[in-house]
Order: sequence, then C-alpha cells, then structure tokens
Amino acid sequence: MFDLLHEISQTLRCNKLRTILTGIAVSWGIFMLIVLLGMSRGVSNSFNDSFMSTGTDQIMVHGGMTSKPHAGYKEGRRIKLKDPDVDKLMKENPDHIAMVSSTLSNDSAVISTSRDYTSGYTGATPDELAGNNLEMRSGRFINNADLREVRKVAVLPVKVARALLGPDSTAYVGSRVDISGLSFLVIGTYHHDFRENVFIPFTTAKKLNGDSPDINQLKVTIKNVSTQTDGDNVEQDIRQTLSTSHDFAPDDRSALWIWNRFTQFLSMSSVMGIMDMMVWIIGLLTMISGIVGVSNIMFVSVRERTHEIGIRRAIGAKPRSILTQIIAESIIITALFGYIGIFLGEVVCGILGYVFRDAEAISNPGVDISIAIQVTVVLIIAGSLAGLFPALKALKIKPVEALRDE
Amino acid sequence: MIIELKDINKTYPGAVPLHVLKGINLGIEKGELVSIMGASGSGKSTLLNILGILDNYDTGEYHLDGVLIRDLNENQAAELRNKMIGFVFQSFNLISYKNAVENVALPLFYQGVSRKKRNALAMEQLERMGLADRAHHLPGELSGGQKQRVAIARSLITQPSIILADEPTGALDSKTSKEVMSVFRQLNDEGMTIVIVTHDPGVGEQTNRIIRISDGLIVS
Repeated sequence: MFDLLHEISQTLRCNKLRTILTGIAVSWGIFMLIVLLGMSRGVSNSFNDSFMSTGTDQIMVHGGMTSKPHAGYKEGRRIKLKDPDVDKLMKENPDHIAMVSSTLSNDSAVISTSRDYTSGYTGATPDELAGNNLEMRSGRFINNADLREVRKVAVLPVKVARALLGPDSTAYVGSRVDISGLSFLVIGTYHHDFRENVFIPFTTAKKLNGDSPDINQLKVTIKNVSTQTDGDNVEQDIRQTLSTSHDFAPDDRSALWIWNRFTQFLSMSSVMGIMDMMVWIIGLLTMISGIVGVSNIMFVSVRERTHEIGIRRAIGAKPRSILTQIIAESIIITALFGYIGIFLGEVVCGILGYVFRDAEAISNPGVDISIAIQVTVVLIIAGSLAGLFPALKALKIKPVEALRDE
Repeated sequence: MIIELKDINKTYPGAVPLHVLKGINLGIEKGELVSIMGASGSGKSTLLNILGILDNYDTGEYHLDGVLIRDLNENQAAELRNKMIGFVFQSFNLISYKNAVENVALPLFYQGVSRKKRNALAMEQLERMGLADRAHHLPGELSGGQKQRVAIARSLITQPSIILADEPTGALDSKTSKEVMSVFRQLNDEGMTIVIVTHDPGVGEQTNRIIRISDGLIVS
C-alpha cells in the first residue's frame, strides 16, 4: 500500500503542472458545492431560528369582518373575540388543541418616563415567557401572584428599557414607568430577535380596558398534528367552533383572521427542502465538470504513458496492478484537491458568516460533518469512475505495441 | 534444453493475412549465448516476442525451462515474464522519472518485495555492473552505455532463466557496443543463458552460435 502511494506520488510529481491544473478544476467544483450548501444551510438555519423562536405549533386567531349574511345578520359585521371563546375552543376540540390563551393589548397606550416615550402594551400570562422564547436579561417575568393581585408591573424589552431608562442596565429593575397615566414598576427586561412588546399582567391589562370581555387575539397551541391536512383541519375546526358563538357562516373566511404557523412552517420547510435539493444538483453538476476533467487528464496521462505501461507490463506488471495504479491515482487527485476545495469552501462560509452576522436571512452558514462525509463518499466514487475508463483503456495496451511505440 | 520450439506458426490476421513464422523448430541449451540474425521483415522480432511471452503463436509448442507456454492469460504471462525472463531492449526502456536503483528494483515491486529489500538487491546488481556511483542518477543523466548496463542489471534482478536482448547495441557507438557485449559474455561465463536478436554481424560473431532466420524459417 505504501509502495503504491510512493509510485503514485512519483508519477504525480513528475507532472506537477498537469496535476495541479486538473486538481484546480476538482477543487473549484467542490468549493462551489460546499459554498452553495453552506449558504443554503445558512438560510434554512435562519428560517428555523425565526420559526423556533415563536413556536411552530401555534395558530393565531383575530376577529375579522363577515362577508356573508348569516342567521339573520347582514354581511360586513365586525367579529369581536371574547373571553368565553377560550374555554369553548378548549372544550369542543380536545383532540387537537392543547392550550388556548388570549392576548389583550393596547397599541395606542402611551408608555413614558422623563427621558422618552413609546406606545403599546400587551397583557401577558407567565407562559408567554416560554411560548415566545424570550430571553430574560434582568429581573423576572410576570408571575401568577402578579395576575392574582392585578399588580401594576411591567417587563420591558432591553431596547425600550435603554430608551426609557438610560444606558445603566443595572438600574432597570425597580425603576418606574408611566403607562396610560398610571405608574408601573419595572420587574424585568428581556431580549428577543424581533419582538418588542411591553408586557404587563393580563389581569391588569383587562382592568385598564374597563373589565370588558373583549380580547384582541386567541393563541391556540395545537397537538397531535403532523401533516398539512391535519393543520388545515384544526383551522377549520376553530372556524366551526367560533362560528356558532359569533353567528357567522363557518365557510366565511373573512370572519376570522387566522395565522396558521404550523401549515406555514410545513410549506416553508418543503420550500427549504427543494432549495437544498437544487443546491445539491447545481453543486454536483459543477463538480461533474471537474470530474470529467480528471477523467480527461487520466486519458491523456494513459496515452502519454503507453510506453511506460508497456515497459511495466514487459517486466511483469499484472493487468490488475496497472488498473489499481491508475484508479488510485485518480482517486488521490480527486480526494486531495477535493479536500482543498472543502477546506476553502468552509473558510469562505466562515467569512460570509462573519460578514452576514447581523443579517436576518442567513445564520451560521457552513456544512456539518455529515455533509463532509457525504461529499467524501461522492469524491471517492467520482474519482474511481474518472479513473476507471482510462484504466480500462490502459489495460488494452499490448506490451509489444507499447514497446514499439517510441 | 531451456528453450524448445516445435513447429511454431504465427499469422497476423488482416485483409491480407501475413504468415510470419512458417514452422520454426529451435532448441537452445542452458548456458548458451546465441544470436538470432535476419533481415528486417524476416520474422525475428515476432520470434523474440513469442520467446518473451509478449505475443501468442497459432500452432506448435513452446517449452521454456520445462514449462509449456501456451494459451496463457495476461496474469499468468505477466508472472512468467517477471520470473523467468530478463529483457534488454535497443532503446533501454528505462522509466525516465525513476533513478537507476528504482528502475533496477521495479520487477521486484511486482513480486511484492519490500522497498528496502528490493533496493538493496538492486544496489548489488548495479555494483556488479560497476554503476554503484550512478545509483541515484536519473536515466537522462546517464550515457547510452550506462543506461544499457542499468537495463541489464534490471533484467538480472529476478534471477531469470534466460535473458532476451533485442538489438542491445543498436543505439550505441562501437566502443560502448563492445563494452555491453563483454558484459553479456561475462554473464554467459557465469552460466546465464542469453539470446540476442540482432542484424549486426559484428555482434553475431561474438556469440557462440548464430541462428539465421529468413522469410519465417530458420535457415541455419
């Protein structure tokens, strides 16, 4: 084995320029494959990140406006979601609904300090912390005691806290902010990629709203669903259930605004899958041109070395050892330069990852070990195929003719 | 007898089939130094190729050192060539990117002998040829006579039954031709069987027996 490698390194070294030119073609193919795969991985990472940070098993429901007359009502009636809808949804769809929570927010409420002001609060329950993947930066989130005692406390996003309370982040917890003219105690700050809600206890929000049963949004957490059809069915069940309490036609799609994150996730996933496949196809096709180059050069090499192969055959080389040598040569060129391509591709992915570190569309581009293994397997197969035909041609060389060939 | 040919016929197929060897009968004893002479087109190269198991024959029988050489596949032929025959060619046929030792050691590579051992054996052969100081030179850095002596060292390394030399002095000047011939004579004195194919009468004279071939038949 070592002897074979020695033989090969000797033949490759005596054709340095040719070996390198061929190798560059292979490196380039692999490089493109890795960069493309890396970037597509980056896009799907970022897609997954943004979906995971809000949960894929949720369906958001807002009240809409009816578009059909129903049960004696004219069309064009506004549907307002109310508190009892929460329990009704839970009770009537126990198979697919794990949890329903309601959100009450007021986007026009002014939140201010002596430094600055912003607007809009959201009433929250303790489970919003996990449900939205919020990262607490200081203090705590709203707890059950806050709800029970209808406390005037608020949790701010870090950015808003900086604007309202100044740069000293240690002083945020314990500060006070004015919300709708009432003084609220800041109990915590959080970070999230794109959410910037000011959270107050749900019960407090309710009270600010004059204890009306109106709510802005229903957040339905679903369970036992895995396909697009399941997702659509749950959505339809929600329409059905709410249509009876609000008297609109179950097939009136504009009566409720439904944002089905689950089916959206599925369709985005399949888009990502197609993108991944396209990248593989483009990458492999690029690589094929490199491989054809290797094959071509091995043909040239066999032609050039006809005489040498003749000598080797005359002094006792068996056909198999000639075959092994040429295929091994081809595999070594492909694998060696392939790995250079993988390495450079990873370096470029790293650089791109750094350049786009703040961009939302790409996160952590690059390929993992399983891709590297797949590419290695592809390289070895490609290398042996590239070498196979030239090697078979070399076998057809008769020593007598080769020796005559000067 | 180390080489025994019985009624060997060889025809090259083609639009006009070419009957090259028309019933060759030949015996060469162990330890002989013979030359095969003939004009070009007489069939002497074809005969050499058959003797060297580089080519097949159509009918007849060829025994080399007691082994019937017939209908061999490529692997068997390669193995027999490797073990039983040492080749010396007119154009040396050394591999240009390998140095003298590596060239001499190459036949042992195909026997699976370890690198260290085969290089040591190759050095021994080079010393025997008086080329120890040129061991690490590439063929391009050697003179014609030196190249041919490297080639002879290579032919000897597997301790073959016979040495087949195809116009070994064809590419050499008269002085180095004499040197190379004296190497062959010396090897013959040590008991090696050597068959030289040549059209040079000067070379033929230095062998113990001349076999003349003409039109595919042995004439004397």
